[in-house]
Amino acid sequence: MNVDQLAEVLRRDPDFMRNVVRWEELPPRPAQYCPFPRQLDARLTVPLEKRGIHQLYTHQAHAISEILSGHDVVVVTPTASGKTMCYNLPVLSEILAHPDARALYLFPTKALSADQVSELYELIEEMGVDIKTFTYDGDTPGSARKAVRQAGHIVVTNPDMLHSGILPHHTKWVKLFENLKYIVIDEIHTYRGVFGSNLANVLRRLLRLCDFYGSHPQFILCSATIANPTELAQTLIGRPITLIDDNGAPMGKRHFVFFNPPVVNQQLGIRAGAVKQVRHISGMLLKNGIQTITFARSRLNVEVLVRYLKEMVRDPLGNAGRVRGYRGGYLPTQRREIERGLRAGQIDAVVSTNALELGIDIGALDACVLCGYPGTIASAWQQAGRAGRRKDTSIVFFVASSAAIDQYIVTHPDYFLAQSPENALLNPDNLYILMNHFKCAAYELPFEDGDTFGNAPGSDELLQYFTESHILHHVDGRYHWMAEDFPASEISLRSAASENFVIIDITDPAHHRVIGEMDRYTVPMLLHENAIYMHEGVQYQVEQLDFDACKAYIRHVEVGYYTDADLNISLTLLDIEEQDNSTDGLPRALGEVKVTSLVTMFKKIRFDTHENLGFGHVRLPEMDMHTSAMWWVLPDELCGSFASDDLKNGMLGVANLLRIVVPLYLMCAPTDIVVVYQVKSPITDKPSLIIYDSAPGGIGLSQKAYGMQDLLLEKALDIVQQCPCEAGCPSCVGPVGEVGAFGKKHAALILRDMLRRARKKES
Amino acid sequence: MTLLDKVRAVGGTAKAPAPAPRTFSDCYVRKKTRELDAFPYALSLSRESLMLMQSQDLPDPVDPMRILYLDTETTGLGGGAGTVAFEIGLGQLTPDGFQITQLVMRDYPEEKYMLQRVEDALDNADLLCTFNGKSFDIPLLRTRFLMNRMNPACLDMPHIDLLPLARRIWKLRIRQCTLQRLETEILHMPRMDDLPGSEAPQRYFSYLKTGEFALLEDVLRHNAQDVASMCVLLSHMANLYRAPDDNLPCEDLFSMAKALEKEKHPHKARMLYHKVPQGKLHASSQMRLADIHRREGNQQMSATIYEHMIQNHEGGVMPYIALAKYKEHTLRDIEGALNLTRQALMLLAEPTLESDTTVQETRFALQYRYERLLKRSGKVCD
Repeated sequence: MNVDQLAEVLRRDPDFMRNVVRWEELPPRPAQYCPFPRQLDARLTVPLEKRGIHQLYTHQAHAISEILSGHDVVVVTPTASGKTMCYNLPVLSEILAHPDARALYLFPTKALSADQVSELYELIEEMGVDIKTFTYDGDTPGSARKAVRQAGHIVVTNPDMLHSGILPHHTKWVKLFENLKYIVIDEIHTYRGVFGSNLANVLRRLLRLCDFYGSHPQFILCSATIANPTELAQTLIGRPITLIDDNGAPMGKRHFVFFNPPVVNQQLGIRAGAVKQVRHISGMLLKNGIQTITFARSRLNVEVLVRYLKEMVRDPLGNAGRVRGYRGGYLPTQRREIERGLRAGQIDAVVSTNALELGIDIGALDACVLCGYPGTIASAWQQAGRAGRRKDTSIVFFVASSAAIDQYIVTHPDYFLAQSPENALLNPDNLYILMNHFKCAAYELPFEDGDTFGNAPGSDELLQYFTESHILHHVDGRYHWMAEDFPASEISLRSAASENFVIIDITDPAHHRVIGEMDRYTVPMLLHENAIYMHEGVQYQVEQLDFDACKAYIRHVEVGYYTDADLNISLTLLDIEEQDNSTDGLPRALGEVKVTSLVTMFKKIRFDTHENLGFGHVRLPEMDMHTSAMWWVLPDELCGSFASDDLKNGMLGVANLLRIVVPLYLMCAPTDIVVVYQVKSPITDKPSLIIYDSAPGGIGLSQKAYGMQDLLLEKALDIVQQCPCEAGCPSCVGPVGEVGAFGKKHAALILRDMLRRARKKES
Repeated sequence: MTLLDKVRAVGGTAKAPAPAPRTFSDCYVRKKTRELDAFPYALSLSRESLMLMQSQDLPDPVDPMRILYLDTETTGLGGGAGTVAFEIGLGQLTPDGFQITQLVMRDYPEEKYMLQRVEDALDNADLLCTFNGKSFDIPLLRTRFLMNRMNPACLDMPHIDLLPLARRIWKLRIRQCTLQRLETEILHMPRMDDLPGSEAPQRYFSYLKTGEFALLEDVLRHNAQDVASMCVLLSHMANLYRAPDDNLPCEDLFSMAKALEKEKHPHKARMLYHKVPQGKLHASSQMRLADIHRREGNQQMSATIYEHMIQNHEGGVMPYIALAKYKEHTLRDIEGALNLTRQALMLLAEPTLESDTTVQETRFALQYRYERLLKRSGKVCD
């Protein structure tokens, strides 16, 4: 059966349709073409014509002519719309015309870099010209590095390598910096939060060096569909940019099926497991020979599903090989082989983590199954975009898990199908992050009096501070680096705090191995002594936590329980930046807080039954963190109408709802923000709901939440009103056991009142 | 809260000194001349003797008085753009003695004057001599030139880096080849109360904070000694190659012979291999000797050496294997090669001091060879 036939069969199957919440048909879209832009070097059309490309899609042509006219651009189009041509063609064209010109390509991962280079090689080879393209990353052998530095026309790398391997050693890259014409940054939607804030600062450093060497590179950025591509791109590069989003790539008809597994426990609101349903759906696609990609949320789920599917088709002919897994931890050669197998059609089913979500070329498949919601709309569309032929029909199944966020999506398909409402946020001026990169910048090139660091605020204050701390030496109008250390080596781009803890497995005394890292703010929760730490489905117990040396020693165990640490958080107000205190409105404020966290004890909880097996004490120092926060104060009038317990339970319910809604609309991971309620808040002295950034210094999430209050309150109210549960479930305010019998009702009352006041203020 | 307060809260506080503004027109220069007596052979260095240790990248002719010895003291060991050479020591032979010129930047603005003086000194030399300069001092100076918008082309000149050359000769015997260790072990001139090089950066930063120049005296003394030792070491090494002493430790003889081979002086190398006395390196030397003969086309000669070694029970299975190859490939004597391989396998069965894995690997290779030879000899069918 092909996809069209299968769709018909399923629609007539009442057992299947019982669980389908929504079946959406996205109509096919024809291609929109434009001729090759005049400015494009004619030699480039040869390899293109050879591939049967005689004209370009509209977005490609527009991007190329904007770029060749000297503008910075950000290209935003869906997966498989020929985005890479938007930058490869103008870059190659420029190098053909000016062989000294250089380009720098940045990809978020090494796998993507490798993929891109092979595509570039093909184009260059077919033209038979001498353009050298090299990847420069941790895998580049020492012997090859010199050649890359001297001769590479196009240097392909990742932000981490640029930060610690290239910028501090810029004098070895004179050729690149003097002639840098284009900086290409693909997949910019992945640079949000801490990673993005770091990258923005790495780019400030890069531009500062370009200025020193006299080059003025242009930016070419690409993104998957998000709500604010222009804002994201401009914040990253610190200057205005032209948006190109007139996607001209054709698309066949697409079916989008929202599948919610049946409820198995009405009271607790628990549904049948998503994995089991996915096994059934992916298996059906496999049996019909429909090439399918299945996305699972964890590495463990990938392995489980691969095993199920392989068993389904196993035969003496080796058909099990038509099913493959794909995830981090597989060797690069193995991954390449799987990618090739998919393009060549030798593999019918692949089960992947989000590793295949980014632009690795695997061709277009017929079907995609999402086993659980990948966390953001952008990711979900990226994953769904893996299925979608240019001509033929394709089908996407979204199978929801019991998680609150999944249930929200599956019960609000319009939220998903409408234009993505997500914002990618970053805050390059986060003080922790800014200070780190300011140091690196000072190491790379002395600041002079009156210099600024990109568009960052407070350069004078930072220079004064670092001079006071004897890290910089101010003389004759310049600030010289005056320390032995090498600042970039201590700074990781993927977390805000510079010190990470390493997790060391000491199960084999002869062979200690590092299995992971964790940022210092999470360590007290998960790696305190005697904690059960889970890593790739394996249980370990923490034997020793050496807080000063930033090391946790763990040993493999098999026990029937897990541990849950009690975190005491207290907030202290540092500064109010903005507030809105009108008496009849909803009082709210935005500011900075000190978060003091202390873990004092942990519970041991049995698997399955969740009984409490006992307690343990934790002795760890308090940890302070400065971050940004926003909060609402519940007016006396509203609070007065509740008994104190009811108010507390209602606020807990609202906080739980906000924990679902805020990450959805701010496009961040649920762990990037913290929502707390305080019946008598030390910040406001009144009952308050507080949202703060969990990254030290904040990355702008609280600020955005402050600006989006109506939307957030509205959506939270939506969930609680539409949830079919009686008095609360994990998909809305939380289970009855947590919020009490009237928690759901009171949460709705509080929200409705907050929203009414917030709107009154505006009208 | 002002931004500065926030920065202090996030980063911790320190108190501020206020450095007085100054004008800058040159770096600090200290010149000292040491008596020539302390530098035996230095003036008699010849191109020929240098060629023995480094056959490439030498000027022609070599004038010992146009060799510039250079050593830097830096603010760190990371080779990035923020690491600075705050002191540069230059040494040059003159008719009056060995002149050491030390350049110090008393503050960062003096760096460019210091580099200009380095450039001038390089212009007046034909050959640069350093200790680890190829990987450290010169790339670092290149960075400093670029950072000061000066052309680093003057650094591209003939260069002898003593560290890799010293390692070739002495690593086998003394392992670690730091300059201080070479002074003690090879030149027999141990240093007294020397400042460890690793403390130099902190001394310099303390000096910048206090303005107390005396803090740098230890660094300058250390650096002057480094520069002088390089000159002594270079002439010592050249002299060794020119006229190797028969009484040298066998490790040194063997290592020097290998170095000579590498620099394409096979005849000199052969002479040294011959001098290696009976003992631990004798067998290896014989093998190398035979190898040189073989490469020179004298296969008969190398076969004779292998036969001698086998007679004298020297070199374990090595001569058996080499001789088997000779018989198989040159003489086409499959039967003879087969015999030797069999004997080697039997020899391997005896207990040895070699590590198990080495023995295993050799045995595996031998067995493979044995089976291949058996096939060739027609004793088994495929």
